[in-house]
Amino acid sequence: MLSRVAENVYWMARYLERAENTARLINAISHVLLDLPRGASFGWDVLTRVAGLDQLFDEAYPSHDEANVMRFLVSDLRNPSSVLSCMQFARENCRRLRDVLPREAWEQVNTMYLALQRSSARITRRADRRRVLEELIRGRHSVAGLLSECMSHDVAYQFIRLGEYIERSDMTTRIVDIHAAVLVPRQQIPEDPAIALLWVGVLKSLSAYQMYRRHGFPQVKSAGVVNYLVKDAHFPRSVRFCLDEIESHLSELPHNTSSLRALRTTDRRIDGMKLENLSPVLRHEYLDAIQADLGHIHDEIARQYFHFHEQQAGGELPGALQAVAG
Amino acid sequence: MGRPDFQIDGDDVLDHIFSNHALCYRVPDGRATMKLELQKYPMGNAFDELVGPGRVPRPAAQALLRYLEDLDESELQTRRAAVDAAIVTMGITFTIYSDGENIDRAWPFDLIPRVMPRTEWQRIERGLKQRLTALNLFINDLYNEQRIVRDAVFPAEVLAGSRNFRKQCVGFVPRFGVWAHICGTDLVRDRDGTVYVLEDNLRVPSGVSYMLENRLLMKSAFPELFEACRIHPVDGYTAQLYEMLAALSPRSGERPVIAVLTPGVYNSAYFEHSYLAQQMGADLVEGVDLVVGADDCVYMKTIDGLRRVDVIYRRIDDDFLDPETFRPDSALGVCGLMRSWRKGKVGIANAPGAGVADDKVVYAFVPKIIRYYLDEDPIIPNVPSYLCMNDSEREFVLSNLDTLVVKPANESGGYGMMIGPHASPAERAQCAERVRADPRNYMAQPTLTLSTAPTLVGDGLAPRHLDLRPFVLQSSGIYVTTGGLTRVALREGSLVVNSSQGGGSKDTWIVEATD
Repeated sequence: MLSRVAENVYWMARYLERAENTARLINAISHVLLDLPRGASFGWDVLTRVAGLDQLFDEAYPSHDEANVMRFLVSDLRNPSSVLSCMQFARENCRRLRDVLPREAWEQVNTMYLALQRSSARITRRADRRRVLEELIRGRHSVAGLLSECMSHDVAYQFIRLGEYIERSDMTTRIVDIHAAVLVPRQQIPEDPAIALLWVGVLKSLSAYQMYRRHGFPQVKSAGVVNYLVKDAHFPRSVRFCLDEIESHLSELPHNTSSLRALRTTDRRIDGMKLENLSPVLRHEYLDAIQADLGHIHDEIARQYFHFHEQQAGGELPGALQAVAG
Repeated sequence: MGRPDFQIDGDDVLDHIFSNHALCYRVPDGRATMKLELQKYPMGNAFDELVGPGRVPRPAAQALLRYLEDLDESELQTRRAAVDAAIVTMGITFTIYSDGENIDRAWPFDLIPRVMPRTEWQRIERGLKQRLTALNLFINDLYNEQRIVRDAVFPAEVLAGSRNFRKQCVGFVPRFGVWAHICGTDLVRDRDGTVYVLEDNLRVPSGVSYMLENRLLMKSAFPELFEACRIHPVDGYTAQLYEMLAALSPRSGERPVIAVLTPGVYNSAYFEHSYLAQQMGADLVEGVDLVVGADDCVYMKTIDGLRRVDVIYRRIDDDFLDPETFRPDSALGVCGLMRSWRKGKVGIANAPGAGVADDKVVYAFVPKIIRYYLDEDPIIPNVPSYLCMNDSEREFVLSNLDTLVVKPANESGGYGMMIGPHASPAERAQCAERVRADPRNYMAQPTLTLSTAPTLVGDGLAPRHLDLRPFVLQSSGIYVTTGGLTRVALREGSLVVNSSQGGGSKDTWIVEATD
């Protein structure tokens, strides 16, 4: 598989996953907004910071309010991580990859993009927004299904899955962190039922509520939720699950030593984390550390598979020695 | 300035051969529904492909027209809407560059197919094979012995003035002696029904993917028609293309590694490049993905190191192919590609230098070329052509500028063309000056009246002009597509079939019919 194509496939998957998870993040916020405890307020500025987009936002908008932040996250093309931007990038990448991906996958991505583009003006109304984003998430699942069921699980497929799981685990940590954006009055204790409801919103946005109730802690409270979304081995959006998947897909690729090493560093760090009874500040620090580790895994993959030949250029050409037959 | 899809491959606008008589058929007021009634079809004075004199359907089109007449209007509009939606979903697009941005436009497609009886097609098919066989013998001769020049059948000064002759190719014989592996031949039909070759596209002809997609669209829109009519399938093309390319592989016994070399996603024909790679299971590569090793073999840069490439189907022009040999500033090509090709380490289709026969002056010699190499009469005639390099013909051209079309030999996309009947006296005078200054570079042809076919316009059918581009493949064997890509001038009064300028396309049916 061509290095350039591997990179395109990988990024296409990341953009699709980012679009879905940004949609989930937004739905999580909408839940949270509806359930805000008396006296609490929502920190829109904290939200853009958690998403890692505060600088960009400040350049584009004069003030943090719901309409601005939502437009910025959903349909603003100045924000390269907005849902619409992600879909545009994913579609562009997909267009370059028509020879690699099953035809139906391209058609589905193309349709999703066109539908989102048509409806992106309506997203300032909460009810419409919800419908539009849920439709996008459903569309994303049908792409995932098409790729999983109609595409050879070849090298290109491994890169798709790598992109997906790296992006997904990163986004899960960010969605967990939106809790930090809820500003509660000092007298309220963390296990207040009203605050617990906020965690229900986070779980639901990741389609994790039902599974948490079956497999997680008996009550919905912060320690249990964070622990579940980071460490659960069976829920497909937890960081732990994603890392296991990354490992298994990396194992299918040649020359994977350095990427696997970066992965295991992350594994060990997460195993060592005590996630119960965390202060919000420490929780944020832990989540940040996981994001940095994921960035490191990405760098190793990019270095080994995408930019390998650039590093070779200028030096001696490997010539026929490294040529692969067949 | 828009840049259209089809001009990229060095081709043609057809506006020079049109006469303006397309009438738009409008629905009479006060009718809630209407049907496509043949008796109201506004015949022009061109040859119509589907409707004969007296509005009698031609035998091959009888079943189709009867079916359309029986279809009620809402049904037709429903199917048209379904097809339009499918085009958007399937992402069948062509790209126009405008103000530095590239815009994807949906592929304009007309629902009414163009129909041709198989008996007629078989003759055309033979003619196309004959023509490409002769052209390949000609190209190979030019780069080697030049017998045809020594025998004074082809003038040395025409060869000397050829812009597409590549001296880097002299003395080389590619496998099978074939240079132009893929040829898109433009055919037109004049008022009297005669089919002519308008030009041979031997560099990087495009459009075949649209031919294949058009058929898919038609099958989904009118499945019942495919049961009723005996329409010959077109889907064999990509398998034939694969076989043709595989035969060029320098290594035997293995599954050859075939790459489609594209200039990239911003090229207007990118859709087609990726489509063909996908259909053949080949790798779609850009220049940066390839490298020529110290062993002169071509490699592609994979995640697992370098992998040898056996055959390159290139979709970039000669000039950009290899900065070591041609334009040094090319960022699209591969350094050392020509070296590798000349050493027989890689097959390239079309071969570099094949464009020497894609020249409007060389075109005029094709009937002689066919007789010289094959000792046969041409099966499909050329449009009569006057070469300005010959004194008597030049004088004829200069005194008939108001009725002729004057074309420069090497320009593509219709640049520098003078359409006599449409030109102002000043334009004609300028043209005469250019012809006198550089006679080798000009030729002229009479203005033809392109044939028409019924086309959906508003609520009814109106005749619109069209041409036909079949694709011919040659390496170890020779193959012609069943039919080809029919391009149609969709806009009323517009006479240009280019997709960017209101041109569209139709499905092309070759059917069993008794004439």
